[in-house]
Amino acid sequence: MERLVTHLLLVLLGGTVLHVSLTDAYLAYVQPGFRPLLVLAGAALLLSGTVGFVLDRPRVSPVGRHASQARDHDHDHQHGHVPWVSWLLVLPVAVLLMVAPPALGVFTVERQSQPLAAATPDQVPEAVPAEELQLVRSMSMLEYGQWALADDPGPLTTSTVRLQGFVVPRGDDGWYLSRIRINCCAADAVPVSVVVDGNRQGVAPGEWVEVVGTWSPPAAHPSDGYPEPVIEARSVTPIPAPVNPYES
Amino acid sequence: MRPVAPPEVTAERPLVRPDGGRTARTGVRSGDVLMVLLALCIAAYFVQPDWFSAPGVQAWGTVFAAICLQALPFLVLGVLVSAAVSLVPASFFERALPRSAVLAVPVAGAAGAVLPGCECASVPVAGGLVRRGVAPAAALAFLLSAPAINPVVVIATVVAFPDEPLMAVARFAASLLVAVVVGWVWAAFGRGDWLRLPQRAADSGGRSRGRQFLDVAQHDFVHAGGFLVLGGVAAATLNVLVPRAWLDAVAGDPVLAVLVLAALAVVLSICSEADAFVAASLTSFSLTSRLVFLVVGPVVDLKLIALQSGTFGPRFALRFAPVTFVVAVGCALLAAWILLGGR
Repeated sequence: MERLVTHLLLVLLGGTVLHVSLTDAYLAYVQPGFRPLLVLAGAALLLSGTVGFVLDRPRVSPVGRHASQARDHDHDHQHGHVPWVSWLLVLPVAVLLMVAPPALGVFTVERQSQPLAAATPDQVPEAVPAEELQLVRSMSMLEYGQWALADDPGPLTTSTVRLQGFVVPRGDDGWYLSRIRINCCAADAVPVSVVVDGNRQGVAPGEWVEVVGTWSPPAAHPSDGYPEPVIEARSVTPIPAPVNPYES
Repeated sequence: MRPVAPPEVTAERPLVRPDGGRTARTGVRSGDVLMVLLALCIAAYFVQPDWFSAPGVQAWGTVFAAICLQALPFLVLGVLVSAAVSLVPASFFERALPRSAVLAVPVAGAAGAVLPGCECASVPVAGGLVRRGVAPAAALAFLLSAPAINPVVVIATVVAFPDEPLMAVARFAASLLVAVVVGWVWAAFGRGDWLRLPQRAADSGGRSRGRQFLDVAQHDFVHAGGFLVLGGVAAATLNVLVPRAWLDAVAGDPVLAVLVLAALAVVLSICSEADAFVAASLTSFSLTSRLVFLVVGPVVDLKLIALQSGTFGPRFALRFAPVTFVVAVGCALLAAWILLGGR
């Protein structure tokens, strides 16, 4: 009986991990490079649970008498029971399948924001050739944020920049375009926010938008006073949430 | 936040029942309590769906799921290596390690460099080593050094601190030192009866090697996995409850900064392969305090304490964690003073 419970827990957990990692759902929790590891781990758990079920299935043949003797033997030594703590493995299964919590968003940005380090002079890219100045430059939020805070933001001052992120409210003055960076999983999340100088056009907090605009001097954080990067918006366009919500 | 209350209640159980469900009868009863709590959670999910859509609860769920998912592959790896260790004859370790514990500790500590995983992998492996007759002091040195000095972690640290190449060197040196010092402390003062390794079904023998391997791996996994979930519950709760503003308020004070980042490393339970990037992002803190964060995190954190009480027993974990914490902070400060010039 107790062995069957162990197998059941393993099949449940392995199946859930496989389900999450074979769809795009895993991207809300870990970085994309984790997929092969999750698939392998999920498959290993599912396989070991299934093999266990096959080996321990109730049998009535003469062979089965032998198997039940083995189980009685375990019982004498009180080895076969499932420790209470193992039942906790149901919890991640329940959270992943029933609640399926979405990627971190506005709540995390509002509570975990921190000053961004300015780019050092050697990290600011070389000047962009004049003929490319007309092009719109796509940048990650971190790239833009660090360059925008640099003492000499270099070619940024003359480029048009395209950023993608979600909307977070900011006091009275402007709003934030935010994105969360993760290196391993959502537990090491670090938000990156850029103040948008311009109309939010009624987009609700948490909705994804693409902002095209130009560099503007840093602004002070409303309560803590540290400098925050700013973009002057030329256009704000709602976009669907990207498959991978995090920058990494 | 009310729907997350049931797991918090269960988080206290190891203190209430330190024998961790040794006897089958009470074990079943604790399991029943847990199942009732889970059933209540599920009932609440249908009766009060609003609770589960609150932003704080959803963020908790995301962080909790993330901790479990990213630790899982490493736990599986660790359990498989541990099960393989259980098939290696004990005589191999007798030959591989020096007889005297004083010499075996540094050798085992340095051997930690070969296990490319995070702390979730090293706990079951260390448990397997102790069961195979390796001196506990040496196994513990391996347990502490493996998650901090393996190549993956060293490279991650170099990448995270491109302007401070000495950070990775300081981390490597300090972490190895912690492992050796704590190993020696255990060799000098540790008592065998503090360690309680859970019995394993495979010890009964009389089965094929393949079956023995499967039994050991399954038993270790559901045991350690349960404690991992427990640690994940605690870490996710604190991760969501502690706002960043509290941290930055103390960054300017050199002593407070060290203490706060040491405590944060314990609380956040970030995987040792990712913590360098988090340390790099804590730009308002001194390099010294960030080195403390990197040295403490892989050796003491909530997830690890839970895993250790599962593998070695709560009596062990409650003594081991505070000693390791103090030694880790000391070694990190020493390394920062010598290698980073106290910045």
